[in-house]
Amino acid sequence: MEVVDSQLHVEEGTVKPCLKCKWQIADPTNPDQGQCTVNRTAMGSIWKRWIRDVHNMTCSKHEEGKLSFREHV
Amino acid sequence: MATMAPAVEYKGKVIDFPFENPEEEKIPDDELHEHLAKPSTERTKRLKARCRWKHASAGEFVEHGVRAGIERMRLVTEAHKASRGKPEVTRRALILERCLNKGTICLQTDEKIIGYHAEDPNYFPLYPELSYMNVKDYLMSDYSPQPEAEAEAINDYWKPYSLQAKCEQYFDPIDLTRMYQVSTMEAPTFAHGYNSIIPPYETVLEDGLLKRIKMAEEHIKEAKAELAKEPWDGSKQLSWIPKIDNWQAMVIADKAVIAWARRYARLCKIVAENFESDPDRKKELMEMAEISNRVPAEPCKGLKDAFQAKWYTFLVCHGIERYASGFAHKEDKVLYPYYKASVIDKTFQPMTHADVVEYVEMERLKISEHGAGKSRGYREIFPGSNDLFILTLGGTNRDGSDGCNDMTDAILEGARNIRTTEPSIVFRYSKKNRPQTLRKVFNCVRDGLGYPSIKNDDVGIEQMKYYSKFSMNNNGATDEEAHDWCNVLCMSPGLCGRRKSQKTRSEGGSAIFPAKILEITLNNGYDWAYSDMQLGPETGNAEDFKTYDDLLEAFRKQYSYVMSLVVRAKDVGRHIETQYLQIPFVSSIDDGCMELGEEATHLSEQPNGWHNPITTIVAANSLVAMKKLIYDEKKYTMKQLMDALKANWEGHEEMRKDFKNAPKWGNDDDYADTIIQSFYEDILGGEMAKVTNYSGGPVLPVGQAVALYMEVGSRTGPTPDGRYGGEAADDGGISPYFGTDTKGPTAVLKSVSKVQKNQKANLLNQRLAVPMMRSVHGFDIWHAYMDTWHDLNVDHVQFNCVSTDEMRAAQREPEKHRDLIVRIAGFSARFVDIPTYGQNTIIARNEQNFGPQDFEFMNLELGQ
Ligand code: SF4
Repeated sequence: MEVVDSQLHVEEGTVKPCLKCKWQIADPTNPDQGQCTVNRTAMGSIWKRWIRDVHNMTCSKHEEGKLSFREHV
Repeated sequence: MATMAPAVEYKGKVIDFPFENPEEEKIPDDELHEHLAKPSTERTKRLKARCRWKHASAGEFVEHGVRAGIERMRLVTEAHKASRGKPEVTRRALILERCLNKGTICLQTDEKIIGYHAEDPNYFPLYPELSYMNVKDYLMSDYSPQPEAEAEAINDYWKPYSLQAKCEQYFDPIDLTRMYQVSTMEAPTFAHGYNSIIPPYETVLEDGLLKRIKMAEEHIKEAKAELAKEPWDGSKQLSWIPKIDNWQAMVIADKAVIAWARRYARLCKIVAENFESDPDRKKELMEMAEISNRVPAEPCKGLKDAFQAKWYTFLVCHGIERYASGFAHKEDKVLYPYYKASVIDKTFQPMTHADVVEYVEMERLKISEHGAGKSRGYREIFPGSNDLFILTLGGTNRDGSDGCNDMTDAILEGARNIRTTEPSIVFRYSKKNRPQTLRKVFNCVRDGLGYPSIKNDDVGIEQMKYYSKFSMNNNGATDEEAHDWCNVLCMSPGLCGRRKSQKTRSEGGSAIFPAKILEITLNNGYDWAYSDMQLGPETGNAEDFKTYDDLLEAFRKQYSYVMSLVVRAKDVGRHIETQYLQIPFVSSIDDGCMELGEEATHLSEQPNGWHNPITTIVAANSLVAMKKLIYDEKKYTMKQLMDALKANWEGHEEMRKDFKNAPKWGNDDDYADTIIQSFYEDILGGEMAKVTNYSGGPVLPVGQAVALYMEVGSRTGPTPDGRYGGEAADDGGISPYFGTDTKGPTAVLKSVSKVQKNQKANLLNQRLAVPMMRSVHGFDIWHAYMDTWHDLNVDHVQFNCVSTDEMRAAQREPEKHRDLIVRIAGFSARFVDIPTYGQNTIIARNEQNFGPQDFEFMNLELGQ
């Protein structure tokens, strides 16, 4: 399948893994998986996407850092 | 100036609503809650000011310095290694013994109830024997136990022995992936370790552990004699061996608990004799030493004994032997005999009612700083709070008389004074409850604490009798015992007392998410909106459903698949618990386990199976909208709807309006309510009831929400009720969706009361307007509402009583609103410790004002 950079995709050994991205928050059960929270509406809703492998997935919206709990769900 | 409720014309009279306390007129709306806390003594004021809160939100701890300790992990590993070759139940007792003998103990300034379960009161223990993923998550977090390398080695050691690893092998990896991501179903206990229990506190307080040891020793003696009987009959006599092992483990556990309490006694004495200079505190410490020397070894004689023995029991059952959430007990019943001895008869530890209230406040603060090593998922779904600590009050006694007593009042007074989010309180509402206690319940409700939440006492009693019929040893609740129930966690009743109570969450608990299940039902079982994978069986695409019944049938199949899977996961977990996660201390204090030589995770006398549908109303309102607009009126095709959903309604705004404006739950609307009633009773309840669990009883729905309505909302795409992708789902098991209950509070009750069949419980969230509740008529209106609610046989209701102005002010200046408490769903939270997403869902709830039509329906007489 064609990889669209702006969308979550597998990139083995990426230096910008979701794990280090400020929009990522860990999966509720498995810490090697995660949730992307970059989709946010003007109304304040957060539409999450599941990340199958936080070490080897990324997208072009990657930003280093960590959000405060207030900015999550 | 505070806002006053506008006058209402009712039965030809104009009714005004002046404040009951005229002083409140001067308190601005946006700071009311900051004026309501009134710790009853200087001591509790100080204790609250220095309380080591452990609120979590979005998986993070809100306060700095809170972290996982390594001590318990280290001690359980040492004991596990040292006990190789011994029976598993003995190993579990030896693990507990080592934790209690070697664990650090601490004493904090001002406290009179002593005891903690980690090496530092800012820390909480971890449980590598439960879930290796949970420990790994901590290792990858800012709260990792130190030294990290040692913690990692411990987790590696435990991985093959862990509950999680032992259970995983019995499941298809695809099913595990589906369960773990928590979108159509909650992950199983074996993957996160979350647990609940109702400890039989009564036996500890009434008998003392020395008596329990003697009982076990006598049983061992008899069993050994049976084992040696001639002529030998292996088919019968071998059954004594596991019983002997169990009783022996009970003895080890109880002796360890006594020795541990006496370590605390020595600590108090050492501090009193060597370090304390204040003569009053010295005296207190010597008294505390005397108490811990005596209890829980001996029976309690006064109320100080009872608070302390109960606290030790709580720590062992909920934090040391195994982790369990909750604070389940009928506290007024458990403590009243000691209240009577100390306050009324003054036979032991004489004290006044005011002294008792101070003890209640101190106990609440102990709970507030109790640390729970719960998983990330559970740190997300109780935002703004610690853990689901919930106690139960009120109701009726075994003979049917009013269960309220002066201890009930003291607990309610203490809760109102100290104003903490934990422990939450459930009040069992009966028409027999005395007015003075109801007034105290109301005082807490209108102060905005969010508790007590109210459960219908009669519904709970009948439920205990119903489940009793399925008892596998024909020893379920008797009709009298059916009155002895408390909530296990926030919503579901379970028996409490000396035996027959629930000992593990594999019996009942955990959630299923109808909104997400409906979403995948429309997509052939595929989840396009969150995980991008097949989440259920292939049941066809939305466009294939020619009739509404076809759609419902596909939903039924998806739902049934999940239901069987989740209960299988619980029962496999239960099976493994009985083999490797025995809880000998709990066994020792349960009369059934003691009598039968059975292990607490194994023995089930009273079935209590349930599972929590969460997000039901989003699914139900969606079904109503689809039935009306696609199948009945044919205004739109299913294809048009699916295109609009995939586009998150973008470019389909008019269509969205139609779906949004379709009839909604909570307005006593026959069209919506008929569809939704059948959805609850025939699908959610009917399908669930087909499942039989470990204990031999049916599993029934407990409609719930906690903050999973936010989490699952954010994992669910747009839905046919007009909701946008990622928006929160409905905030209660049976509560109307935010802002869609427009016909007033009694219309909500009428809708809700239509659902009766195949249900165990359903959470109803209502937000009451502050000015009317704080007026001179507040109590009468609430009381009439509660009687109406009771007569309609509704199971539950909980209230928010907080103004939008105050919540908005707290969003602007959180540091000024530390005492602002709100009800989420099943628990209360500090508003400023909740993410903005969640705060907005509380603000969006419809603020219910009672009008003349409500007063009329409630048959209320309002004097001027
Ligand atoms: S924004 Fe991109 S890199 Fe960041 S968590 Fe989401 S998918 Fe991963």
